[in-house]
Amino acid sequence: MADVKDLVQKVVVGDWKDIARLTQETLDSGIKPEDIIHQLQGGMEVVGEKYSSGEYFLPDMMKAARCMNIALEVLKKAMGGEAIQSLGKVLFGTVKSDMHDIGKNIVVGFLKGVGFEVIDLGTDVSDDKFAEAVILYEPQIVGLSALLTTTMHEIGIVVKKLEEKGLRSRVKIMAGGAPVTEDFTRRMGADAYAADGGAAVKICKQLINS
Amino acid sequence: MALTQKQRILDVMAGKQVDKIPFGARIDVWYNYHAAHDSLPAKYKGWSQTDIIEDQGAGAQKRFFSVCREEYVDMEVVKRQEPPYEVTEFITPIGTCSIKLIWSVNEGPWLAYEHEKLFKSEKDYPVVNYILNHTIPFYNEAYTKERQDMGERGIVMTGTGLWGPNQRVMREIMGYELFYNEYMDRPEKVQELMETMMNLEKKKLDICISSDLEVINLCANWSDDIHTPVFREYFTPYFREANEKIHAAGKFSMAHADGEMRRLIPLFGETMIDVAEAITPVPQTKVTMEEFRTMGDHVILWGGIPSIMFDPSFSKEEFDDYIKTMIKIVKPGTRFIAGMADNIPIAADINRVGRVVELLDKYGKLPIK
Repeated sequence: MADVKDLVQKVVVGDWKDIARLTQETLDSGIKPEDIIHQLQGGMEVVGEKYSSGEYFLPDMMKAARCMNIALEVLKKAMGGEAIQSLGKVLFGTVKSDMHDIGKNIVVGFLKGVGFEVIDLGTDVSDDKFAEAVILYEPQIVGLSALLTTTMHEIGIVVKKLEEKGLRSRVKIMAGGAPVTEDFTRRMGADAYAADGGAAVKICKQLINS
Repeated sequence: MALTQKQRILDVMAGKQVDKIPFGARIDVWYNYHAAHDSLPAKYKGWSQTDIIEDQGAGAQKRFFSVCREEYVDMEVVKRQEPPYEVTEFITPIGTCSIKLIWSVNEGPWLAYEHEKLFKSEKDYPVVNYILNHTIPFYNEAYTKERQDMGERGIVMTGTGLWGPNQRVMREIMGYELFYNEYMDRPEKVQELMETMMNLEKKKLDICISSDLEVINLCANWSDDIHTPVFREYFTPYFREANEKIHAAGKFSMAHADGEMRRLIPLFGETMIDVAEAITPVPQTKVTMEEFRTMGDHVILWGGIPSIMFDPSFSKEEFDDYIKTMIKIVKPGTRFIAGMADNIPIAADINRVGRVVELLDKYGKLPIK
């Protein structure tokens, strides 16, 4: 009989080839899809911790995310179209004039993997676009990524724009990126700094609960 | 006779002891932004970036994309503008692939981003292999002018291109995420594509070696979480082979190593690369200057001053303290070239470039005791 722990372990080590079958067998053993999802999200948190600690690399994270996506496809079918409960809604984008997306995509992958709903605005996102998207999607968290020393100040510009539009109090703002430090993030008026995808998961959970 | 800025840098690379720690300053991100926005300081309006660095008293490093240019045979290459993008279609007898670029004023007119990569899915393997097999590299005459403009004021930082061969497949042709997905699903096809790229890039390396370039850039922008898993298998063998040729020609090699490097530091020494350029320590990364030194005594460290230290939000006292501490840490200082890691931000106080020169003149006489 399939054990959900085996399934979670496969996700953590990124062994995707058997995930669909194992997920189905776990379902067939009588465990509710919601419970399996909850366990798998815990597994993705372990992946995040391993990434933050330096044990895991980008491809390890990608393998785990692939496992999670395969499992979710099977579980969604079993849930008959019922929506998976989200941990919260995060709006994410790379700031204006910055075309880099690897860091953003890593964070988005982690957040989705552990159960956040993520709206990814892509790269080169202006302060106006962030403000419009806050009105449209009503997220609890706005995530800002900046890779360049020339663009990191855009974090502060987005914060100011949300203040001007009266939207600042509706959201918590998290920022990160290669040149960005915790001190800089605070000085730009953001609420939190995330050093990497694993850290972003913890930060988003804290921000949602604060 | 006093050493020129260029000679001081080259002498350090050659293991000679010079009078003081050289300073190879890079300001192009700051310069390109302010030149494009007409916001250069009044004194420097209309100046070139090398003129500004010279005025500040520092040696210059100026980025130039490549000593090689590429031409394509047995295919039609069609460029069209779709503002803000530039689309290039490669129409080959076996199919068509396209790339969509966007140019960044922030990073200078020499660097474009692939908004859409050349390789998009499995069906593109034959066409991309064809394009690379029918790409002929030539010496880029524009480099000659860059070198003449620079003269003895510093170093034109260039080589085969930005990336090493396999990194070019990972970063430029596919993008890292697609690369690793393809690597999971179709490793033999990825391998074939990397071999095709390797053949092209080796020809470019030969052009660099036969040019008058003294320092050849072999790679850029490593990040330890992305590259470490494949570094030994796909990066190190090429670098070792390339460096045997480079060293036999009496030249030096360099890698632009400005990312998080902790897990790559032990691997760097194996590459035989001479210069780790733009090394970026705390507070901008997690790595200390002492850790960078563990790359090995044969490696010249170039960099050490995080870009954010040039931001006025760090006080002048904090800036001075950082530079003085850095000089103490690199003691005896003989295998070190001071430089930006990897640039200065647009809000930078440009006069801090001159301040580094003053502090190196005062505290950076070699050997540091």
